Amino acid sequence: MSVSVGNPSLARAVSRLVAALLALGAFAAHAQLPAKPAAAPTPPPSWQQGRSAEQEKSTLHPFAIHVTGKPAKELPVDKLKVPAGFKVEVWVDGVPAARSLALGDKGTVFVGNRQAKNVYAIVDRGGKREVKTVLKGLDTPNGVAFRKGTLYVAERHRITRYDGIEDRLDNPPEGKVVIDNLDPSKAPGHFWKFLALGPDGKLYFNIGAPGNIVMPNYMQASISRVDPKSGTLENVAMGVRNTVGFDWHPQTKQLWFTEHGRDWLGDNSPSDELNVVTRKGQHFGYPYCHQGDTLDPEFGKNRSCAEFTPPALKLGAHVAPIGMRFYSGKMFPAEYRNNIFIALRGSWNRTIKQGYNVTRVSFDDQGKPKMQPFLTGFLVDEKADPPMWGRPSDVLVMRDGSLLVSDDHNGIIYRVSYGKK
Amino acid sequence: MVAAALSFFAACAALAAEEVPRKAEPCVVCHGPGGNSTDPGMPSLAGQPAQFISMQLYMFREGNRKDPQMSPMASSLSNADMNELAAYFSRQKPAVSSHKTAPENAATGRRLAERHYCVQCHGPALMGQQHIPRLAGQQREYLRTQLRGFKASTRFDMDGNMTSAAQLLSDADIEILADYLSGLDGPAPSTR
Repeated sequence: MSVSVGNPSLARAVSRLVAALLALGAFAAHAQLPAKPAAAPTPPPSWQQGRSAEQEKSTLHPFAIHVTGKPAKELPVDKLKVPAGFKVEVWVDGVPAARSLALGDKGTVFVGNRQAKNVYAIVDRGGKREVKTVLKGLDTPNGVAFRKGTLYVAERHRITRYDGIEDRLDNPPEGKVVIDNLDPSKAPGHFWKFLALGPDGKLYFNIGAPGNIVMPNYMQASISRVDPKSGTLENVAMGVRNTVGFDWHPQTKQLWFTEHGRDWLGDNSPSDELNVVTRKGQHFGYPYCHQGDTLDPEFGKNRSCAEFTPPALKLGAHVAPIGMRFYSGKMFPAEYRNNIFIALRGSWNRTIKQGYNVTRVSFDDQGKPKMQPFLTGFLVDEKADPPMWGRPSDVLVMRDGSLLVSDDHNGIIYRVSYGKK
Repeated sequence: MVAAALSFFAACAALAAEEVPRKAEPCVVCHGPGGNSTDPGMPSLAGQPAQFISMQLYMFREGNRKDPQMSPMASSLSNADMNELAAYFSRQKPAVSSHKTAPENAATGRRLAERHYCVQCHGPALMGQQHIPRLAGQQREYLRTQLRGFKASTRFDMDGNMTSAAQLLSDADIEILADYLSGLDGPAPSTR
């Protein structure tokens, strides 16, 4: 504040008055000041967020993967089961944290992961498979997608492209950024991304909710797409807590996706979901409504489930559906055509564990989906800690029609085939 | 005669303890015999969950976690080496902690460990589980350095939970926690 007055005594009076007013103002401000607020408490670990008071003593916890992997020979892989006529075998081991799978034009299988920094490439030479580390030093490179010679990788914060990589796996090209700044907050939460190329040539990816059950911001809890040519970004689906697997129906070209429901609502609630996007921008309920019919005890108070798109199929509580692909191959029997295979990587958030298998979803004459286990044997003891020795995390249909299944817990990829092959 | 008897007993004790695999020989130079460190800045590995050890080795090799001593040590290890080292050290019996928590820090330390959710992941007795380290009886200076690193967001963090938890710790809290945790005794070796 500056006061400009010619007369010195008047100036003194004015300055005293100003000082008095300031003091009064300061006093008034002080009088209105609340008691010093208590420091905000430390938040609970992200996986515990949303527990009720009764669940405070719960011993349920997520299971950590063996990031260094386990050799298949140390594991009960002979306990894996597939329907009659099918065969399951270890395709390759020693692929640390193997999760998302993408198939190159020339048959290279690219493997992304959530916990490591590398992207791996598996080259099959006459039945002998070699694991190459093709990209290093990335941040949560979970998403991998391939089309027309280009590998796209979704990290925590950006998507990059590697043109012509399949011809130079030992000397990969520098990545070119397609889109950046997808994770400005750098906070705990569902920050790893699944990536796939749509029939429209655009890159589709998730931005998960920043916690178990919290209000997402405008770009979180969504499926978005970016045009790799123009860089234009759009929302495709909202209210999606976290999806880390999606694919397009080979005939209808509609986008189907798996979604993880929230934790800590009990052993049997809510169900994880299989969803289909029939209109761009649809809202699938999170955090207000779960499984299409269950309002959230906190966020659902002023909402109705009728406002949101319900799931096409309930997959079971806490089963953690990850990768899903439509079966477009020709090796399996005809009734498997256009079925969906889903890798169930959970459950942990229920006292009696379920899931830990690859589930088949088929459709009846009315197009109604139904599910049945397809590849089982990972779950050993539903009450044990841990209850399983392996965790299916993605599926990939190969050109010969066989199905690859990644297991990030052990860093192994299995192959399911049918008939003599 | 006495010396001979003593060396006989020492030999018996050495036979009873598991032989140090060749791969672990460089580790025990700093981390102590059987992974029981006697250096306040050097973490004990004995009785740590195997998944914690293998994951940290992996993160050192991959450059996620950085340390002038450990990064080069891990750089030549294969994943199988890491699994083997993790299995060996997780089998070793943790020594009874030689650190004595200051009496005034015992109850405060426990309160801090509960208020800041340490016990939720590291377990009620701070013994660790899966990929989450045992804190009970760990070297104090090492604990202090890690907590300061998490607070400064410079320490590798798998999922952000430790960085998030450390933000509200004051420097004094970190001192108390390190003092409290370091003085905790693990379970009797026979239950391990």
